[in-house]
Amino acid sequence: MMEVTPNPVTAVMRALADPTRRAVFERVFDSREISVAELTRGSGVTQGAISQHLKSLKQAGLVAERAEGRNVYYRVAPRGLEPLITWMDHYGVFWRERFQNLRDLLKEIDP
Amino acid sequence: MNAAELKAETQDNIRDIVIDEVLPHAPETIWKALTSAQLIARWLMQPTGFEASEGNTFTFQTTPGGAWDGVIHCRVLEVVANRRLVYAWKGGDERNTGYGAPLDTVVTWSLTPVEAGTRIRLVHAGFVMPRNESAYNVMSGGWKKVVRQLDEISGEK
Repeated sequence: MMEVTPNPVTAVMRALADPTRRAVFERVFDSREISVAELTRGSGVTQGAISQHLKSLKQAGLVAERAEGRNVYYRVAPRGLEPLITWMDHYGVFWRERFQNLRDLLKEIDP
Repeated sequence: MNAAELKAETQDNIRDIVIDEVLPHAPETIWKALTSAQLIARWLMQPTGFEASEGNTFTFQTTPGGAWDGVIHCRVLEVVANRRLVYAWKGGDERNTGYGAPLDTVVTWSLTPVEAGTRIRLVHAGFVMPRNESAYNVMSGGWKKVVRQLDEISGEK
């Protein structure tokens, strides 16, 4: 099957769609910096699985890594969620905006 | 799992968007705004092929995402002049998660005359969680919660 090249929003949402991966992202989100070992502790999954999730999050542009000696530290990429924000800005409060449009239109046609 | 349990579980995962307001206009005036293609284009989106008659199919074109071409497929399910308009609102693609995930929803407009004008109620029903979580959150305004969190990390902009 052909893999469709996802747009950035799709990539971000797909990365966050997996609950375990989302939990990993949230833990990175809540810390300034965190290592794979720390993330693995108390996660209930293997370090290999955590690494895989981090790789997906990195590919989606959601986390950034920093190597220090033998350790790799992860932090949230500051602009990683931007595609999502842009998309939400575009569609945000879809119906509320539409309702406001409807109100304005009605004022115009029925003053 | 028996049928009742299945139903309960399904219902747990289906959410609606509801907006309920009183507008200072007659139901007939609002009805016109809801059912004239020309006016729909001015407040909602430009419809293609819209007619306020049961069974009519029409489309909206929105932003494509992933495997989805951005076309929203609608079908008029019920028309009660000046009172009730119901249409199916479907879109998305099986290959998408998040934005553009399969959406199989129903939009219901109800108009009730009140002293101050008309009570207008919109129910956009059938968002399946978590498949349509992003669509639901965005369309209902639940996205604000997300954005508050996002503000913290986009503060470096």
